[in-house]
Amino acid sequence: MDFQAIHDRLRAIEAPGLQAADEPREPNKEKKDPGRSGNPFVTVDPARIVEFLTVCRDDSKLDFRILIDLTATDPKADGEELSVLFELLSIRKKHRLSIKASIPKSDASIQSATAVYRAAQWHERECGEMYGITFVGHPDPRNILLPDDWVGYPLRKDYEFPTEYNGISCE
Amino acid sequence: MTIEQQKGALTLGSEGRVLPSGEREFMMDVSTSDLEVNMGPQHPATHGVMRILLRTDGELVTGAQPHLGYLHRCAEKIGENVEWLQYLPYTDRYDYLAAMNNNLGYSLAVEALMPGLEIPRRATLIRTICAEINRIASHLIAFGTYGLDIGAFTPFFYAFREREWIQALFEKICGARLTYSYIRIGGVFNDAPPGWLQEVGHFCDVFEQKWQEYYDLLVVNHVFVKRTADIGVIPEEMALDFGLTGPMLRGSGVDFDLRRDMPYMVYKEISDAGALKVPIGRGEMGTLGDCWDRLFVRVQEMKESLAVIRWCLDSIEPGPVLGDVPKVIKVPPGEAYVGIENPRGELGHYVSSDGGKVATRCRVRGPSFTNLAVLEDMMPGTLLADSVAIIGSTDIVVGETDR
Amino acid sequence: MEDRPILEILRSFGPPEWVPEWALWLTAAGIGVGMLVAFVSLLALFSIWMERKVAGHIQCRYGPMYAGGWHGWAQTIADGVKLLLKEDIIPTGSDKPLFVLAPAIVLASIFAALVVMPVSYGFYFAEMDLGVFTILALGSTTTIGVIMAGWASNSKWAIYGAMREAAQVIAYEIPLGLSLLVPLMALGTFSLLDASSAQAGWYGMNWAVFQNPFVFPAFLIFATAALAETKRAPFDLPEAESELVAGFLTEYSGIRWSFFFMEEYAAMFLMSVVGSIFFFGGFETPITAAARSMFGSNDHLVVQLICALTLLLKSFFGVFLMMWLRWTLPRIRIDQVMTMGYKYLTPLSLLCVLGAAVWELIIS
Repeated sequence: MDFQAIHDRLRAIEAPGLQAADEPREPNKEKKDPGRSGNPFVTVDPARIVEFLTVCRDDSKLDFRILIDLTATDPKADGEELSVLFELLSIRKKHRLSIKASIPKSDASIQSATAVYRAAQWHERECGEMYGITFVGHPDPRNILLPDDWVGYPLRKDYEFPTEYNGISCE
Repeated sequence: MTIEQQKGALTLGSEGRVLPSGEREFMMDVSTSDLEVNMGPQHPATHGVMRILLRTDGELVTGAQPHLGYLHRCAEKIGENVEWLQYLPYTDRYDYLAAMNNNLGYSLAVEALMPGLEIPRRATLIRTICAEINRIASHLIAFGTYGLDIGAFTPFFYAFREREWIQALFEKICGARLTYSYIRIGGVFNDAPPGWLQEVGHFCDVFEQKWQEYYDLLVVNHVFVKRTADIGVIPEEMALDFGLTGPMLRGSGVDFDLRRDMPYMVYKEISDAGALKVPIGRGEMGTLGDCWDRLFVRVQEMKESLAVIRWCLDSIEPGPVLGDVPKVIKVPPGEAYVGIENPRGELGHYVSSDGGKVATRCRVRGPSFTNLAVLEDMMPGTLLADSVAIIGSTDIVVGETDR
Repeated sequence: MEDRPILEILRSFGPPEWVPEWALWLTAAGIGVGMLVAFVSLLALFSIWMERKVAGHIQCRYGPMYAGGWHGWAQTIADGVKLLLKEDIIPTGSDKPLFVLAPAIVLASIFAALVVMPVSYGFYFAEMDLGVFTILALGSTTTIGVIMAGWASNSKWAIYGAMREAAQVIAYEIPLGLSLLVPLMALGTFSLLDASSAQAGWYGMNWAVFQNPFVFPAFLIFATAALAETKRAPFDLPEAESELVAGFLTEYSGIRWSFFFMEEYAAMFLMSVVGSIFFFGGFETPITAAARSMFGSNDHLVVQLICALTLLLKSFFGVFLMMWLRWTLPRIRIDQVMTMGYKYLTPLSLLCVLGAAVWELIIS
């Protein structure tokens, strides 16, 4: 199914938390719209993300059995929000879905998707350590790529690189 | 059998644990405790710099905890600080055994954000040839090093004999043997030198005979089958739940390949012409989804790639190899996720741009990272020698696991 | 046959009166030991070179080509010198006396076992009525050294190697001994020299494998058990390179490491010698028989040389077979090794013994 059909289906089954769909559009000089290229995605309310993912996985027409990617992005350096991204894939229906959920930077927490997909476990660990997002309900929220005593959230745009670590300085 | 941890340290659970059969273990007067061994970061069988904290009771592994990050090189942060084309050499280095595919994934993702850009057909065909030859090279290493892990020293040398030829081919076309930076945004860097395409065809013919040698020497070797069949079984449900892709998924019997089912580049034409066959595991030697099935899928894929290469060689025609891209690329605003079929699984790039020279987010979804997660669940309950077999069958590259 | 050949040779030089008997005896012993040590060292040297060449050619490459000129024949000598010059590292926390003693025990046991090996009908280091018994007993003493090495290294990976070695060697001692009983019954003697001369009929082709139909299956069992005893692939779990880094050898470097390897090649040679003598005729081939009839008796120098060469060639062929197997087959897992040893090889060897005994009773 293409994106339109998926979005229609999501609305038809009243997927919880579904907010909007964002599709690529041409630049429009009159509306001063620079346009957007790339893939379409849906935005979802972060408070209901687990229910949304469960519906995506269990619905027979959507059948998104695989969580391909779970990551986050910091759209603007001075912005207030982080966006958590989910990529779903259906093997039998051969279609994809991109999902975005926006959470505030000051209180960056969202429900953990490990209840729905086991694949989320490691992805959330990485996302959590890189962006400082707390995944509520995650069974093992240790750092995965960074050392356990690392300070700061590297992938945030306002991250300051430390010049010293455990006595090793890079001056 | 949970491993209690505090801030990353590993502490033993209490004595008298409950075994998988449900009974409580009978503790005798002689107090024995499990041995905690560190497998890695330097170890001949962990396929890179990775550390697995094993808890073993004699030879039986009772707990396994992978520790990553030894090869973390901040690729995603760098992506937000360098220009679009300058990021290309970084993509080579995450899965350094299949660098062409990495370049391809990144280029396709950026090109998805540039709808006006037209990629010449010759460039697409050369891209496909290079990606498929690199798939063969990567699977040769998977095959050779897996034999080495199991104790068969010779297939490794045979595999590398062919790999040397592939690397010589790549050296002729782009100057590098391992990290190519050849497939660029808009096409490929330069055209194939004269005679290169004929040599690729010659390679395909020779490789087909050598393939039979590999198959007879290792894949159906009785001792090898005994070591890998019925080990590390991943049922289909578990594979889907863990988000496995590539040979890990196909080894469990799931018939899905991105090249055929969600085609990109010219793969639609190739699969319509019948040149793209996707091998899946069938549980021939043991259980469906065991280590042998995964190796079998990889070895068969090497053979099937030859058909794809031959189709491309037959349909290639002279022409330009690089689209109309400026020297400093400015990508229009937008965001895209593009996933391609890496030898290890689905390599996904999520790139987002705000119209400038530098990406605002360059996320790499490495298949090895996701594929490695099954270790925590699969290794307890196996013998130490089997853990090595299981790690080898995941065919991870730690560069991609850590990025 | 003479009792102590070297002593007799010394006496035949006519030493002066004032030299006491024990001095002669000691000198003879010293010369014998020296010859044996030199022989084993040369053997290890040659075997290591052969292994590298065999491995190279099986793997489509050449192996050593450079050191010494022709096909790198001096490679092992160069490596030996390098290892001698290396820093002697003993890990802290290791059990130092045991750590130092382990390679010595291992090498000493193999030297002692090789004392029983005859060079020819007239020349030997020690003639024992229970020759093969001694070899088996001393050959298993090396295990003590291996386990000591694993324990003393103070490394968990070394302990794995040592435990595997203990389990594996003990499991395969039984089929090794039992399968050797079959040719013993066919030939009727424990001594290596007598076993060889018992195969002298049919112009030197009356080998044990042809004397009793149960000897050939016993040989197969013996070959498998010998591979397991010498820790050669496919049974090289104790030093499994890709799993245990280097097993019990992990902490050993320099000359101590080379002691373990000398022991490995000496043990391979020893098993080959035992196999050649008890199953495939030892000194006896049609050439030996022809030489004997040409030159008269076994004491003639030419006959003795031919005997020595024959045994050497047969043993080196066995060593070559072991090397061939190493570079072809993958490694077997420890529980599969145990299963094979206890559940398959032991009952099979018992059956062979039973069958051979019945055959001897009925036919002979």
